[in-house]
Amino acid sequence: MAKKVAKKASRAPKMTYYFGKGKTEGKNDQKQLLGGKGMNLAEMTRIGLPVPPGFTITTEVCDLYYKNKKKLPKGLMDAVNKNVKMLEKELGKKFGDTKLPLLVSVRSGAAVSMPGMMNTILNLGLNDASVVGLANATGNERFAYDAYRRLINMFGDVVCGVGHEYFEHAFDRIKAKYHAKEDNDVPLEGMIALCESYKKVFRKHYGKPFPQDPIKQLELAVEAVFASWMQMRAIRYRQVENITGLLGTAVNVQSMVFGNMGDDSGTGVAFTRDPSTGENKFYGEFLINAQGEDVVAGIRTPQPVAEMTKWNKKIYDQLLKIKDKLEKHYRDVQDIEFTIEKGKLYMLQTRNGKRTGAAAVKIACDMVKEKLIKEKEGVMRIPAGDLTQLLLPSFSPSAKAKAKKTGGLLSVCQRRLGLLSASSPLLRLRLSIVRLRAKKCCSCGKKPTPKTSTACTRRLAS
Amino acid sequence: MRKETNPEDIDGMHSAAGILTSTGGMTSHAAVVARGWGRCCVAGAGEIHIDEKARKIKINGKTFTHKDVLSIDGSTGEVMVGEVETQTPKLSGDFSTVMKWTDKYGSMKVRTNADTPADAKRARDFGAQGIGLCRTEHMFFEGERIMAMREMILAENEADRKEALTKLLPVQRKDFVGIFTAMKGLPVTIRLLDPPLHEFLPHDDKSQAEMASRLGVKRSVVKNRVLALHESNPMLGHRGCRLAVTYPEILDMQVTAITEAVIACKKKKVDAQAEIMIPLVGTANELKLLGDRVRVVMAEVKEAKKYTGKLNILVGTMIEIPRAALTADQVSEHADFFSFGTNDLTQMTFGYSRDDINTFLPDYLNEEILPRDPFQTLDTTGVGQLVEMGVQKGRSTKSKLKCGICGEHGGDPESIEFCHKVGLDYVSCSPFRVPIARLAAAQAALGA
Repeated sequence: MAKKVAKKASRAPKMTYYFGKGKTEGKNDQKQLLGGKGMNLAEMTRIGLPVPPGFTITTEVCDLYYKNKKKLPKGLMDAVNKNVKMLEKELGKKFGDTKLPLLVSVRSGAAVSMPGMMNTILNLGLNDASVVGLANATGNERFAYDAYRRLINMFGDVVCGVGHEYFEHAFDRIKAKYHAKEDNDVPLEGMIALCESYKKVFRKHYGKPFPQDPIKQLELAVEAVFASWMQMRAIRYRQVENITGLLGTAVNVQSMVFGNMGDDSGTGVAFTRDPSTGENKFYGEFLINAQGEDVVAGIRTPQPVAEMTKWNKKIYDQLLKIKDKLEKHYRDVQDIEFTIEKGKLYMLQTRNGKRTGAAAVKIACDMVKEKLIKEKEGVMRIPAGDLTQLLLPSFSPSAKAKAKKTGGLLSVCQRRLGLLSASSPLLRLRLSIVRLRAKKCCSCGKKPTPKTSTACTRRLAS
Repeated sequence: MRKETNPEDIDGMHSAAGILTSTGGMTSHAAVVARGWGRCCVAGAGEIHIDEKARKIKINGKTFTHKDVLSIDGSTGEVMVGEVETQTPKLSGDFSTVMKWTDKYGSMKVRTNADTPADAKRARDFGAQGIGLCRTEHMFFEGERIMAMREMILAENEADRKEALTKLLPVQRKDFVGIFTAMKGLPVTIRLLDPPLHEFLPHDDKSQAEMASRLGVKRSVVKNRVLALHESNPMLGHRGCRLAVTYPEILDMQVTAITEAVIACKKKKVDAQAEIMIPLVGTANELKLLGDRVRVVMAEVKEAKKYTGKLNILVGTMIEIPRAALTADQVSEHADFFSFGTNDLTQMTFGYSRDDINTFLPDYLNEEILPRDPFQTLDTTGVGQLVEMGVQKGRSTKSKLKCGICGEHGGDPESIEFCHKVGLDYVSCSPFRVPIARLAAAQAALGA
């Protein structure tokens, strides 16, 4: 039996697709195979945008993983190794190096966007040796150990099932020891001590030490992303959103860039046009000296992207050029994520932007006027059902927010609440658009036991 | 605020700013009616306990009376305390650009379901190209009319019934003149009386007593009539064309009102395009009998009014019983048009009662027994076959047979795509969904 599977796997098609300066293998009609994220990373690289190089493991591999009793198919790690070598060559960095270490992010990406439903691991490739390398390369020791402790925590939590709270407790003890109020107040020695104590937590709860071999880290991380395809919240999300017929998720392994390397670094998200009104205005927000997850966590309030001119006009102008290039290329509004590392801009993601009904109408009309699309395409671009939003009166968002704040909300359909939460205004907007566009109601993820089904309000009069 | 609503509540619902029910769902009566009016409605809010007698409601331990103000959001299902400020939609120039595109690329017409001149006018403003369903029963609920209607129902012989009907004739005529005028130059499909008669009678003691004293009869008379009209399954009972078979004088009155209204309009040079629709037909013989009667009455009215011009009133039927679709080649011999009533067609094909579906539909959707609610999106594999067959068989007898759809599906983009595919001439939906349907019709034409 095992032989048969191995034979099948050896006949399996191409498992990885590289994107970088040397070559870009993915094409823009391979969404099913590479996932939305993987396809667009390849496409952005191809049209010459600054994308950190990397490679995508296909959705077919995910399918094989499940057919193969949740084991990575044979031959995959050979292909991964080859791609890592290409990455090392392109960047002049090496996995586990003490001078210029290669670090990667590992992210899921299915053909249909499932925001936040599957696993992500950042800073992969750090170990006791390369953390020194990162410190040397950046000239910032504290930053390096901070990155390392984040990896141990994330890897433990997401890949090895070590509860996040154990790491939190360890962090609290360190903070107390160094009389630090905030995470950022912990000095270098504290961070070094924290890494040691995180490794102990990891070993205690996982039974094995934190893997020092970057390739082993990568293997486990890829498996974890595949496994997250079938975790409860992902299955439920697909049910709620009526997503069927997918092979699985792809995995994107991409070299890391850091938005938290100082005040010349930052990160942000933006829409090429305003997704709530459709106005042709670059719309988004960014945070100086921060990583993507800081934006999501909402610890700090991001600034509107228009204010970037005051911080770094060159980057802002470059972003505007990229915005135009992306819209011309995709001929639709794009929702982008970017990071600035030490004054250099990198594009991390692009996808067609979700929008309100009003915005869909304006954008279609504007793009026809701009000759970006034809009239017939304009007609096809507007989701017909979303016109409802234009025709009926609605509560003014501020008044509604106020009513909710004062405890005025009595009853609501609990659809999807709790699955996602966001504190950044832009992320909230994204979510609210997703909700606005939701076709049916009463598809709360919960199974309707008598109690939960009566607690659900159905959406009407649309 | 009701546990659920029924047609008796129509007056209250029309004057209400919003409708909140604790049972039901997106396709229950309250929701369907509210949607047609663009009225805000949250149906099936199970956390809310409504005590209709004490005029109190309880939500999560808090009690509210008729003096309190609540705000409900029909698009999210949220219920909030107090008055939350609203904003009215502004239709931009871009919106009319998109609507112009839809006219350029769409091939199917989009009509609306409207029962009053005001609804008709609003739908016309949204670009409706006719009325696909004008329900005459709603006209009988308003104000004083319900009394004349009840008098007619209580009548024990044809003579008394005719006398009561004479009172209704002028008001119906006036309604039709108003609608024809609002829709001049565009077709208006009028459905003859459809619901069972008991829906027009009060069911509680107090209202029954009130009715008895208004009509000068004993309470027991009212009570007995209500009991006599009781049916175990009204949906499949004495309604639709079956009423016209037993009480042809009702049909006579309605057809007279329509014909007189058309003549009145023509005299004022208003281009009235009436289409008379006979509901719930299951056999060709029903339509033959009633269609002939409609034509006789029209001829009589014409003569009485000494009108010699052409009226061009079409006579057709609703296809909402599977048997009518299966025998559409025979039915179409007596019809100028077919209008697929896909709400009832879905009920009868699946054997589901639309008002009771919420007890099991969530499980059906969860277990993926059904891909979606068949009352929201037409079940193209099953019910759709009947529609397709109805169109094909109907046109095999009468190649130019006009075919349309007037169920809730007429406003659902996915269902509209199907309607385009099977060759319907038009879809009809509630006024507020007209722009959506126009866009969906254009998309269907472009996508084909």
